[in-house]
Amino acid sequence: MSEAVDTSGEHELDLSWMDQKGPWDTKAEESRYGLTLADIQIGEYGETPDVSDNLTGRPRGSAPRPGSYRIGNYAVRTKNEIWLDNASFLYEEALQRQWSSATDVPWHTIEPLPDDIEQAECQLATFFTEVEFVAGDVPARWVSETTPDFFEARQVLLAQVMDESRHMDVFRKRAMANGGGLMQATGATSGFVGSIDLSRDFTEMSSRLHLSGEGAVLTMFRMGELMAQNEAEKAMYRLCAQDEARHVAFGVMHMRYMSAAAPERREEIHCYLDEAEGQIVSGVGNPAARGGPVGESLAILLGGGKDKFDEGMNMLTAIRRRQFREYKKRIVSAGFGERFENGRSRLMEMFEEAA
Amino acid sequence: MAKFPSVRWFDAVREVFNGDESVQGGGGGYCNCIAGMKVGKDVFVLTFEGVECTEAVKADDAALDDVDFYLDMAPADWREMISNIHSNNGADRHHTLNTLDLEREDGLATSHHGDQYREDLFFRYNQTFQYFFNASARIRTDF
Amino acid sequence: MAKSSKASKAKTAKKAPAASAKPSAASDPAIAATPTLVSSQAQGKADSGQPEKQGPVLDWMNKTRQWGVRVKPGKAGLRLGDLNVGIYGEIPMQWSDQSRNPRGAVPRKGMPPVGYAVREKVGMWADSAADLYEEAIQRRWAPATDVPWNTVEKLPSDIERAICQVCTELSQFANVEIETIAGWQHQMVYGYHEVKQYLATASFDAARHYECFRKRALVNGGGLGVEGPGQVNRMILESSGGWSATVAYLVLVRAVFTMTILKYLARHAYNDAERFIYEHVLQDKARLLTYGLDHLHFAVAHDDEQPAVLATVLAIGDRVLTRDLRDPALREALAIIFGRGIRGARRQGMEMYEEMMADFMQTHLGYCRWLGIARAPAEAMPPPLNRHAGASVAA
Repeated sequence: MSEAVDTSGEHELDLSWMDQKGPWDTKAEESRYGLTLADIQIGEYGETPDVSDNLTGRPRGSAPRPGSYRIGNYAVRTKNEIWLDNASFLYEEALQRQWSSATDVPWHTIEPLPDDIEQAECQLATFFTEVEFVAGDVPARWVSETTPDFFEARQVLLAQVMDESRHMDVFRKRAMANGGGLMQATGATSGFVGSIDLSRDFTEMSSRLHLSGEGAVLTMFRMGELMAQNEAEKAMYRLCAQDEARHVAFGVMHMRYMSAAAPERREEIHCYLDEAEGQIVSGVGNPAARGGPVGESLAILLGGGKDKFDEGMNMLTAIRRRQFREYKKRIVSAGFGERFENGRSRLMEMFEEAA
Repeated sequence: MAKFPSVRWFDAVREVFNGDESVQGGGGGYCNCIAGMKVGKDVFVLTFEGVECTEAVKADDAALDDVDFYLDMAPADWREMISNIHSNNGADRHHTLNTLDLEREDGLATSHHGDQYREDLFFRYNQTFQYFFNASARIRTDF
Repeated sequence: MAKSSKASKAKTAKKAPAASAKPSAASDPAIAATPTLVSSQAQGKADSGQPEKQGPVLDWMNKTRQWGVRVKPGKAGLRLGDLNVGIYGEIPMQWSDQSRNPRGAVPRKGMPPVGYAVREKVGMWADSAADLYEEAIQRRWAPATDVPWNTVEKLPSDIERAICQVCTELSQFANVEIETIAGWQHQMVYGYHEVKQYLATASFDAARHYECFRKRALVNGGGLGVEGPGQVNRMILESSGGWSATVAYLVLVRAVFTMTILKYLARHAYNDAERFIYEHVLQDKARLLTYGLDHLHFAVAHDDEQPAVLATVLAIGDRVLTRDLRDPALREALAIIFGRGIRGARRQGMEMYEEMMADFMQTHLGYCRWLGIARAPAEAMPPPLNRHAGASVAA
């Protein structure tokens, strides 16, 4: 005799959704670095389409709903427009290497400095506070316009936005930590044609932001570490330089992918590089250039005072040689080295003059 | 007491570095690269994986073809840096790796392959390398 | 407004002896109008890298609006909010500067505008933004290494399928949060940098949520489920009329809904990894909730129209939310998790789901009351929200 089952008060379930799913029996395994993004790129979940038809914002690999609205309106849906092969790696690295400007910089080591040095440091800090978040605003905008099918690249850009936010804040802190204050803005990231803000193509933006712009700023951060007056500045610049190097790595690897996957765009990329290098040479796109508030501040800091300006300027010139050389090698690494062989790039000419 | 340069010295530093969780934050963290150390004619290759330095081996010049970058200084300059780190419980501001790099005409970090993407790892993980060498303040070094 | 008064009591903004010697750009228009960078660089003068023949110009020196600031680190370090002293803590209600001039710096005249849509304090401000920014940095975590993934063990297939469905939809929620915040951030002026900086942490948090729910779905023999119905996603993304309206949807509706789900999931987690994920995402979301409530409170307090606008926005939101709620996937998946299987879902699982929804509506309506946003009575709400709202009243 079976006992009657009381089904009163039970809810009816539809359960038809249970059959709508992505590839099943997926079992990602932890690697020695934990369960990383690379570890979950398995089976179909690791496949990124060359052109994304995902306009609803569904997670890559999930089952689509035929009735879903096309709410994504993504401008970037072609893989080679944004992709890089080591995005997962860079994202995990960014997560692991975060730092805090409040507690990881030994602010207590700052002591009063001669007025010319403090002013130069504050002018530099004002400049960095001003420009660092262009590299937050702009990648954020592109993230919002990129299909989640390429989420690995988006994750790196979101980490960059976070990094830049911290940079914007650490330099504001420095300007106000030692008896100084903010000085005059430079207008360096205004809406000029050819500026990072106004680029209407991701790769154009990346060539300007990640390669020429952040490459130059990386050099400046390294200079900042060199000329630091105390441990706080040492730490601040060193940690910013690490972040910046990661952003530069994004640019190099994206260009490398683009170069291989879309050779028809190589000439166009060379044009962006022509323009960026022109700006580096003229000083518009290179904050480490001579003259102007930033260049003069650097010279004062490198020389060790206003009275040692010429000495500082000579050091700045020497470091710029390194900057040019590193830029050139990054472009070679990105796959566009022929411009230094065929005479297209003016940068080497300038480098030779300076050498 | 470990003599610099030697695998024993690097192993002693590795042990301190790997056992110190504080160096995994504050801008430290994942570091994946192979770095060469050229001390005059002596060459050592260090492997960094995750948050650890997993191996230090003695090598020869040919091994430098395969490293991501290597740090190249004369023995006297290495000695000065390590002594400074020992005296100050960490490099003072004139002896950090980045400062030493920029003060040299050809830099401290370089490579045979010339791939700047790989050389940039020196900048990308700079705090980790600084933590690593700063860890040498906690061992006794003989030159 | 609170910040301005706080700034007037600035502890460290006393002027150093040298400060009085420094000219104020605000009182000397000639200083602010000197376009040093543009004249020497933007005109395209080639910089050969050779040393300058002439001496330095140094006309940038002494250009500051306030000198002699010495902010000292406190117990929690040197925090962003600590910097709001003297003129640097003066946060005006309008910010007309369309450049990236840092607040308190001497502006440079004649720069082409970057172009910002949100230029009023009332449109984005929250007093808590600076503190939330620092808190987010201190409380960061990494799904790869902080989640104890080794505690995830094989589950009955119906439960695994349900967890994977929930993770799919929560991942999609995070995607909308990313796209929404990232899409607004660059439209916000520099003058209220604390908000931009907090939002940078919020989108980074959302990236982590997108990642960790995907990881959970792919780690235990399952996979992703079917995408969510997306009506609320659409509503959030399409609320382009103003950031405050977006915040109402993103926070008052979506974040409160998500947080409620996470609370119940944490209570019914099947292993430590899931519990860790739910609890940590919950605390990240709590920061977003704080920002959202704080901002809406500020907006309501400073804009007479705002309560009525938000009431309309939320009334529309009710109808859109009900369309999503009619879809069985998330509801039944949660019931299966709460009921520990399909069988349990039919009774205890669905009862728990109903309790969760009542909890959600009670919380949501409570926040609306606190903000002074009028809401329709429970009976006038579309089903099933009326039931959930009524249940909260009955309780």
